[in-house]
Amino acid sequence: MKTLEVTDLCARYSMSGPEILKKISFDVEENDFFAIIGPSGAGKSTLIRCVNQLVKPTSGKIIFNGRDVTHLKGRELRLMRRDIGMIFQEFNLINRMSVMDNVLSGRLGYTGNIRTLFRTFPRAEVDHALQLLDRVGLIDHIDKRADELSGGQRQRVGIARALMQDPKLLLLDEPTSALDPKISREVMALIKQMATELKVPCLCNIHDVTLAMEFCNKIIGLQDGIKMFDGPTEQMDQAKLDEIYSMEVL
Amino acid sequence: MNVAMQTNPKLTWSRFKYPDSLIRYGAWLGLAVFLGYSVDYLNIPLDRIFGMFGRMGDTLANRYYPPDIDYIMDVEYFGYVVETLQMAYLGALFGLILTIPLGWFGSHNMTPSKIFVYPIARAITMSCRAVHEMIFAIIFVAILGYGMLPGVLALTFFCTGFAGKLFAEEIEAIDMGPVEAMRATGANLFQIMLFAVFPQVRVALTGIAIYTWDVAFRAATVVGFFGAGGMGWYLKRNVLQIETERVAAILVSIIVLVAISEVVSAWARNRVMKMK
Amino acid sequence: MNTTITDVAARDIIIERIMQRQRRARMTTALAYGFGLILVAWSIQVTVIDDTDWARMGSFGQVMETAGQFIGLDFALFADLLHPTIETLMIACLGTLLGVIMCVPAAWFGAMNITPFKPVTYPLARAMMTLSRSIHEIVWALFFVSAVGLGAMAGIFAIAVRSVGFIAKMSAEAIENIDHGPVDAIRATGANEFQVMLYAILPQILPQVLGVVIFEWEINIRRSAILGLVGAGGLGLVFFRQMNTFNFHGVMSVIVAILFLILIGEMISHWARKAVI
Repeated sequence: MKTLEVTDLCARYSMSGPEILKKISFDVEENDFFAIIGPSGAGKSTLIRCVNQLVKPTSGKIIFNGRDVTHLKGRELRLMRRDIGMIFQEFNLINRMSVMDNVLSGRLGYTGNIRTLFRTFPRAEVDHALQLLDRVGLIDHIDKRADELSGGQRQRVGIARALMQDPKLLLLDEPTSALDPKISREVMALIKQMATELKVPCLCNIHDVTLAMEFCNKIIGLQDGIKMFDGPTEQMDQAKLDEIYSMEVL
Repeated sequence: MNVAMQTNPKLTWSRFKYPDSLIRYGAWLGLAVFLGYSVDYLNIPLDRIFGMFGRMGDTLANRYYPPDIDYIMDVEYFGYVVETLQMAYLGALFGLILTIPLGWFGSHNMTPSKIFVYPIARAITMSCRAVHEMIFAIIFVAILGYGMLPGVLALTFFCTGFAGKLFAEEIEAIDMGPVEAMRATGANLFQIMLFAVFPQVRVALTGIAIYTWDVAFRAATVVGFFGAGGMGWYLKRNVLQIETERVAAILVSIIVLVAISEVVSAWARNRVMKMK
Repeated sequence: MNTTITDVAARDIIIERIMQRQRRARMTTALAYGFGLILVAWSIQVTVIDDTDWARMGSFGQVMETAGQFIGLDFALFADLLHPTIETLMIACLGTLLGVIMCVPAAWFGAMNITPFKPVTYPLARAMMTLSRSIHEIVWALFFVSAVGLGAMAGIFAIAVRSVGFIAKMSAEAIENIDHGPVDAIRATGANEFQVMLYAILPQILPQVLGVVIFEWEINIRRSAILGLVGAGGLGLVFFRQMNTFNFHGVMSVIVAILFLILIGEMISHWARKAVI
């Protein structure tokens, strides 16, 4: 069973606005590390956010693990979001809270309101958080405030938070665009490693084509909301890249 | 968990940190205890509070409504309104005139003498701020008799305190570069204030002036209650006679005037901001 | 450089126009100042000079004598001031607390990005905030005394209602300025709106809101002290009685107590700010 099947997805931000995505279709399978590349404004970020409905698609179908999730609302939407972890370009941590609290916030979908109020999480979840933090190398920073960390460290907290959800799919929205090149590579490698270990497929919106070619096994290229390329990384070559990015030359 | 990992005995974590958590929770607990004790000390009937909201709604609907607008549509009353405006205007004006030196002396970076003048200026500003404008009004009325003079004086003191602190903070926030440059040319403190400090704070001072006038007007509407001139006198008369509908009318007039003054002062402050 | 006669003439016209404009601007400024000065002189004439009962006031010396009666303290009174002082402090604290509670819906409705039904709830909240800040605390106290009776209860309500406007306005502004990134992130974990608010919104606005609450609490001490003048409890009542019995030294004692309370308030506020921000 494919993890994600997207069919004819269209999205626009307002009734009168331009159409950002124009009938995009692609599939993500269980062990994919899928990259979405394209020039700025092509709709990559919108596409990622349509999957967990941070942006509402206007038409089309999204099937997640065999279930049609395109029009979920309320509680069902929240249950679906629990199974999808997301890592953001700007890290989006809660700056005043500690690293540990940030990682634990990944379990909010599984926590009741009263427990949320008092920030009590079950022992098992705390242990899981500790292990993830150890794995990403931040075990010595767990009580630091999130805004006391460097960019690379913050993203690693973001990774731990996303993986706390025990997700069936990881969405990555330009996870390394705010990091310098060396750290970017380290972070991508870490994500790839942990995703492979935990057998979680990834859908990654990425700006840096070199990184995409290095870490991802499948690529789609978007240009102006239209899919220009869809296939394994090996098939990508300079000619096709030029086609996708041709708008930038103009 | 779908990862096989060795449980590292080093990996433990507890939210409670000694002594920080103890102090924090202790402080919040202390506050809660104090508040609970207050409720008891003041004999607040918590069980009757919701009933009170009902009574308030009742009072409002029956005794204060409809407001007796005819009562305030009166030339004499308008005279009092104009007086209130004038008191506020003068109080703010004199207060600001006093604020300029007080703010200057009370600013840590530009005061002529940090050990002598600064504490005195600060103390004056803080006393003016601490004493409520009504207290000033009552005392001045006792000394000078009824009328607008005590009102203007009270408002002056109030504005001095209010604007003094704001102005001193503005001066403390300036860029010291031009100040150093002028010091280097051998200018004296007054010249430095005029040429290096004043241009920087001029716009902020205008904003403070407008804000002060706005606040002074609100206070001016009520000082008459204690005999210091203005609309407040009407308020007192009608409260004493329990003419609640007339009181409501006066309140309506106050609200309308304050709303107008707020709109005007917001517009003026916007214009000033744009000038910057 | 070749300048023709027309160039020079053109330049002269431009200079002349600039100077005209400057002259006009200066005249306008002068007129404005002149007008302002006339307004001030008239205001002084009308308010201070005409209105004051100069005869009754007597000479400057007599005024100073009256003023001199205030200098001095009634030390015996201090013992009786303990209870009202504590009462004043408590009214300020409970009033601020009630104000904060009332501020939760007010700020929620008054923040453009989270208000539930913009055309109705937002203007309503803004109107309430303006109303709260426009009416002087004495007036609020008068209303509550007539509604719930004399005593601390009226004072607490008056303080609460007076404070809501400012605290809610500042909180709403803080909410409107939050970073939406963390909101997205917490939503993406499957959290419900309550959890989103608690984790993503509240921590972002907390330093500002607490700062505003502490600031307003300090001001409320000042306000509670005089609400007793109209029967709402605290030191104000003692002040009123001392004035009525012409015990001016007693009046000074009350003022000293008020200043002392405000000093304590400033110390606590300074410490609390450090701890929170």
